[in-house]
Amino acid sequence: MRVLCYNHGSDKMTTSNNETSKKLTANVKAAGCAAKISSLQLKQVLSSIPRTHCPELLTSLENFEDAAVYKITEDIAIIETVDFFPPVVDDPFLFGRIAAVNALSDVYAMGGKPVIALNVLCFPTCDYPLSVVEEILRGGQSACAEAGVAVAGGHSIQGPEPVFGLSVTGVIDPRSILTNGGAKNGDVLLLTKPLGTGVMLLGLKGGTLSELETKQLLDSLTLLNKSALEIAKKYKPSAATDITGFGLIGHTAEMAAASGLSAYLYIDELPFFTGALSLASQGFVPAGAYGNRNTFESSVINLDHIDVAIQDLIFDPQTSGGLMFALQEEQAMRLLAELIEAGLTASIIGGFVEGKPGQIEVKK
Amino acid sequence: MSSDTKQIGPNTLDLRGLMCPEPVLKTKKMLDQNPQEPLEVLVDSQVNVMNLTRLANSLGLQLQSEEEQDGYKVTIKKNEEAGSQISPHTHDSSRKVVPESRQSNSEKSSSSSVVFIAKDTFGEGDRDFSVNLLNVFLQTIMQAGHRPQAILLANSGVRLMDPDSSVRKVLDEFHDSGSQVLACGLCVEYYGLKEKIKPEQITNMYAICEYLFSADKLITP
Repeated sequence: MRVLCYNHGSDKMTTSNNETSKKLTANVKAAGCAAKISSLQLKQVLSSIPRTHCPELLTSLENFEDAAVYKITEDIAIIETVDFFPPVVDDPFLFGRIAAVNALSDVYAMGGKPVIALNVLCFPTCDYPLSVVEEILRGGQSACAEAGVAVAGGHSIQGPEPVFGLSVTGVIDPRSILTNGGAKNGDVLLLTKPLGTGVMLLGLKGGTLSELETKQLLDSLTLLNKSALEIAKKYKPSAATDITGFGLIGHTAEMAAASGLSAYLYIDELPFFTGALSLASQGFVPAGAYGNRNTFESSVINLDHIDVAIQDLIFDPQTSGGLMFALQEEQAMRLLAELIEAGLTASIIGGFVEGKPGQIEVKK
Repeated sequence: MSSDTKQIGPNTLDLRGLMCPEPVLKTKKMLDQNPQEPLEVLVDSQVNVMNLTRLANSLGLQLQSEEEQDGYKVTIKKNEEAGSQISPHTHDSSRKVVPESRQSNSEKSSSSSVVFIAKDTFGEGDRDFSVNLLNVFLQTIMQAGHRPQAILLANSGVRLMDPDSSVRKVLDEFHDSGSQVLACGLCVEYYGLKEKIKPEQITNMYAICEYLFSADKLITP
């Protein structure tokens, strides 16, 4: 197939033979959720945009929820979310799969069941063969199929760098929504995936990961948060979110602020990908981690008591990160055991106490 | 050296225009080749400077940076106070978190060694004696000050975690002093010990394999 293309830097229109191909991540400046606009900038922009009042809307923008929830009847609400980003890996199928798993996760983070999805695609068809698009969509479809979600359509445009993701619709009983704001004094925090995807993806791009490190990373990035949510629901969590672009600290601070509580994190209990600490200490730290540090470091007590590499990892923007639940300690211990038995990663990493809302103390 | 990197002088790299993690990789390569020479690096952004600062710290080197018209000039050189010997003080804060397997120096620590125990005896022989011997083995490790990253228990080895086992005490001491003491979940279930072991000390085969493959040193009594 021949496509008419406009070449950057020259005024000539040429035809692409769709045969030459470069690495998918070649032009990407910020990978995955590290490509997010900073929380500070976002707050600034959103503050000037007027809102339409809608009583059926059950989530508020102030609490930085993972998705919007709209109540239809007393028993049914729909969950809406959209998430997309540039390639994090060179394999197009894996990129599609990771982007879809990441987008679906926002519905799970609200406690819901995703049902249909639309593809969101931006693609420079002159730079890559069309088979690459096909593989990206195939990867997205594989995640949706596993989640029991029908891909019902989508929208695609030409653009300078590839971008893929999904708009996902989910359903939920409005009484069982898991928001950021439900955490209770005394709850503990349970996290279901290792931390450090931003750092590890830089390592992957730089070709410095071992086979085992690569496998551990890709297994986690492509794993749906579906089973983790299904198991966790039995233990009645009071709040939930998924750890994505704002990093562990950002999302913990949001949950603490929305719940009117202070959080604490046990640094020694944090699960990091094998190799992540070493990479971070050698300077494989994405720009997004420095951005998150800038935004959230004033909320963290005793930050300077911990190693710089660990600091970088708790600010590291996560792509397709795990779910984080707030729940009673006794329930959390039982949930931990069941998640681990199911072969999932899970750790109890901290909790909530009365205190300055949104503040986080890091403890050894 | 690839075509997109300009090496201006013998020890100056122009890494402007490169995306992460290229500036770190190219700087590291240069430092590995000429560890004795000071290196000057030109980069675009402060993120590059901060990442090169971490790299320099991890290698026990000094870094200075100044903002220029179109980016930053970074100078990396040997720590003057330390001379040719890398002093432990130059890398205390950024070093101690690095898994042992990644470190180029030889700090005396056993943080990345893993002890794998797949039966409840030390070798084959009289049963009571063999169990005792295992206890002695673990206590000796403890007293010698070795702190393995993890002690993994599988098959009948999980019986050592039974509160009635004479070995449980020393395993708890390892746990309290920072070693991960983990029992295989399938085995715990099979030997009916699920109620007697804390959930956070129960793991799965995936995690066990991760530990075994990432260990610098694997010890199996």
